[in-house]
Amino acid sequence: MKAVFEDRTGFQWRLEISFIVVSIAFGLMATAYWYIQIARGDYYFQLSENNRLRSVAVTAARGVIRDRNGVILAENRPAFSLYLYRRETKNLAASIDAAIETLGLAREDVERRVARYRTYFDFVPIDLADNLTVGEVATVESRSVDHPEFAVGVGQQRFYTHGSFAAQALGYLSEATTVQVAAAPDRYRPGDPIGQRGIESAYQDLLAGRAGERRIIVDSFGHETAEESHSDPIPGRDLTLSIDARLQSVAEDYFKDRVGSVVAIDPKTGEVLAILSAPSYDPNLFSRRMTAAEWSQLVENPAKPLQNRAIQNVYSPGSAIKAFMAEAGLAGGVVSPDTKVYCSGSATFYGRTFHCWRKEGHGSVDLHGAVRGSCDVYFYTLGQKMGLARIASAMQAFGFGELTGIDLPNEKKGLVPTEEWSLKSRHVRWYPSETISVAIGQGPVLVSALQLAHAMAGLVEGGRFPRPHLFLSAEDTQSGNRYRYVNQSEQRLSIEPAVLERVKDALWAAVNEPGGTAYLSRVPGLDLCGKTGSVQVVGQKDTKKSHLLPYEKRDHAWFVGFAPKDDPKIVICVFIEHGEHGASAAAPLARDLAAAYLGVAIPERPGERPPGAAAQTGQP
Amino acid sequence: MRLFGGRHFDWTLFFSIIALLSIGILLVASATSGSRNKDLTTRQAMWMGIGILAMVGMYALDYRVLLKFSFVIYLVSLAPLAYLLVFGHRIAHVRSWIRVGNFQFQPAEITKLAAALLMAYLFENEEEARLRPAAFAKLFAIVLVPFVMVFLQPDLGLALTFLPLLVIGMYFGSLPWRWWAALALVLVMGAGAGWFFLKDYQKQRITTFLQPETDLKGAGYQLRQSKIAVGSGGLFGKGFRKGTQSQLRFLPVRHTDFIFAVLAEEFGFVGVLMVLSLYAAVVLRSLRLASHARDRGGAFLVLGLIACFGFSVIINMGMMIGVFPTTGIPLPLLSYGGSSVATTLTAMGLVLSVEARRFANV
Repeated sequence: MKAVFEDRTGFQWRLEISFIVVSIAFGLMATAYWYIQIARGDYYFQLSENNRLRSVAVTAARGVIRDRNGVILAENRPAFSLYLYRRETKNLAASIDAAIETLGLAREDVERRVARYRTYFDFVPIDLADNLTVGEVATVESRSVDHPEFAVGVGQQRFYTHGSFAAQALGYLSEATTVQVAAAPDRYRPGDPIGQRGIESAYQDLLAGRAGERRIIVDSFGHETAEESHSDPIPGRDLTLSIDARLQSVAEDYFKDRVGSVVAIDPKTGEVLAILSAPSYDPNLFSRRMTAAEWSQLVENPAKPLQNRAIQNVYSPGSAIKAFMAEAGLAGGVVSPDTKVYCSGSATFYGRTFHCWRKEGHGSVDLHGAVRGSCDVYFYTLGQKMGLARIASAMQAFGFGELTGIDLPNEKKGLVPTEEWSLKSRHVRWYPSETISVAIGQGPVLVSALQLAHAMAGLVEGGRFPRPHLFLSAEDTQSGNRYRYVNQSEQRLSIEPAVLERVKDALWAAVNEPGGTAYLSRVPGLDLCGKTGSVQVVGQKDTKKSHLLPYEKRDHAWFVGFAPKDDPKIVICVFIEHGEHGASAAAPLARDLAAAYLGVAIPERPGERPPGAAAQTGQP
Repeated sequence: MRLFGGRHFDWTLFFSIIALLSIGILLVASATSGSRNKDLTTRQAMWMGIGILAMVGMYALDYRVLLKFSFVIYLVSLAPLAYLLVFGHRIAHVRSWIRVGNFQFQPAEITKLAAALLMAYLFENEEEARLRPAAFAKLFAIVLVPFVMVFLQPDLGLALTFLPLLVIGMYFGSLPWRWWAALALVLVMGAGAGWFFLKDYQKQRITTFLQPETDLKGAGYQLRQSKIAVGSGGLFGKGFRKGTQSQLRFLPVRHTDFIFAVLAEEFGFVGVLMVLSLYAAVVLRSLRLASHARDRGGAFLVLGLIACFGFSVIINMGMMIGVFPTTGIPLPLLSYGGSSVATTLTAMGLVLSVEARRFANV
């Protein structure tokens, strides 16, 4: 053995250094751990909680929408989706191919979906395809041994039982937009279905209920190991609408190949019994995430099927306005029931000749005859006597130029022209001759079908205007509580009973007396009253008969009316785009609706013509 | 040769080691709870038992006998490494395990002990004030041969654990500063060249170490999860077997390389400080013992062994929180692994043996 180690000074010195180095090393390590665990402890604790906790939304069942008699208009149906679990697959590309082949999916659609999940962890399943049929579900299940990576998930899908029936009024569901998510981040996540347009949008909060949440503890594979907490979803409330599906289908049938709109309301309550806009679309397309092609077809369709023409499109009312002009003239003392005007087929005002639609003229007419035969010259004269200011205030009193307040989004308020409006918006002075046109509903006066129906309801109720609405009641299915709509109406005018009777008589005559413009739509016992109208689409006084013009230049047809004459139960407004004549195109539907609603049978008449052939009499 | 009688036994060192072993077995139990490898705890306890026997055996045995035969021991210990390079089966990319029946063993751990012995033997006979080039060459060879063999397995982490021996020899053997500078230069250039020889997964580990956020699903995921585990432990931790990161398996290889993150998560900064203190106690106490050693051989043996030990401890702890790259170096005495715990305890036995024979006359 060697000698004992003697010379230790250098060695000891080095040891002391290493002693210090080791101490510093451990000290630094402790500091580093202090920093991570204490200084940044809360941050990492939060991260570990995020790691282990997943929030899973529990969808609340959306409220069912029914018509006033309990007919289901919108409900929820189970929808099956195909999920791909990437952790279970040996070859992702092969799995995708298998899915495409088995279900006949569009490759680019599938690849787009897969691409969306690229940044997600493997345990997040890919939603490969939605709305599998029962047969497809069976196919997937039967191949589960070979393809354990596929699973079928069940979700809920909105189903509109009647397809395109009242589609614009009902609205549809589609994924919440980023704006909608940003507006209510605690309620919606991207991808959540949300009501768009119509009732689905207006009553989104009632219908949607509130999603529940399960906070689950997951392991690193994303497998649920336990549930930490959960809150039950609050199901949406079931909605009962004032719509009467029977009436609505009468209108739907009539509009199969027509463009236009219908509004039928109860004049006392404002309950909307039918509301239609044609052409329509199938809102079920939205529930199953339509393809880009289907979407552009809807949006780019020049007929704008998504738009609710009954409340969003405004047109000149044409002769339909005469009903309200008549009331205004009588109430304001401008004319008396006995005031007579001679109609020779035309008349001159402010140096310009204005024609009556009836070239041969109506002869000497009083108010009753003028309304019945829709005499333009009578109303030109009345308009001239009233002047624009009084016409405008009368029209505003009937609610034209402002919103009716219906419980549907995007209602348009139309236009009642005034001299101030002309200067401000058109930058030209109002021509007195324009007043003559406005008196028969031509020129820059714009109304919606809903506004006309609303005005007619106010008229027949003696000046009490109901607020139109579709909401009838909402039911909380859990508690059974039912919330009812409180009818709102406003006494905006006080129409003297004598005046009202005169006007109603005249409107009754328009349908039920010989010489009435809608005489062909009379039904004994129905007592339909109303006013027809047609609106020129092309410029002033085209000499051609409307039916000889190309479709897009033909006149629009109006009918606004009510039934029965005494104590009216229903007010109806029908608008048919390029329908040419209110009498032939619009009035028959109003008749059918009134008859259906009041339970009056319509006798078969040999003289009944198909609507397209109506032009020969040339009635407005 | 007498056992125990009248001889010094360092209880501080011994109890620090036993305390660490006890904590280790608790952590392995926690980290493997709920997994299919429930018998891992028992297995680890068994290896600890074997290790403690080896430790006591080493204590009883005169280290000078081992020093005398160190060259032979060294050569013999290289044999399995050579065997592995030729015939070894890869386990997790590397051929560092020898499988005997149900057990796997990393022979490199034993080689490390042998290399420490041979280095000590070298310096036993090297009494110059300055390290001679010839001695330096020998030292270099002693460390580099197993380093390269392990590196080729290829297990970079395990290979690196040989380097503390080289540093200890150079530092305590008084290598002139010019040599240090030259060596540093070679190292930098070698690192540049070595980049081309690294396996892809090793390169990835280095890239991930430099930019862990680039790969959150793969290598960066481990680091992120272990940092979350450590950080979320806070001051007192989440409690035994209540660490969500480890129990829900967000933490990778938690019972082996990442066992310290389990400790940090479940016992918090308090637990970390306690274990850190125990390790510091073992290392500092061993350094103190080195200064008492009766001969250069004993001193260098203790220094070499404890340097390897301390190096692994610091690297592993730094690994958890991204201070050092994820290299696959286990935490001595705490990490699951039979060869690691048994050889570490054997090394501790050698340290105790040197301490026991500090006086020339016993």
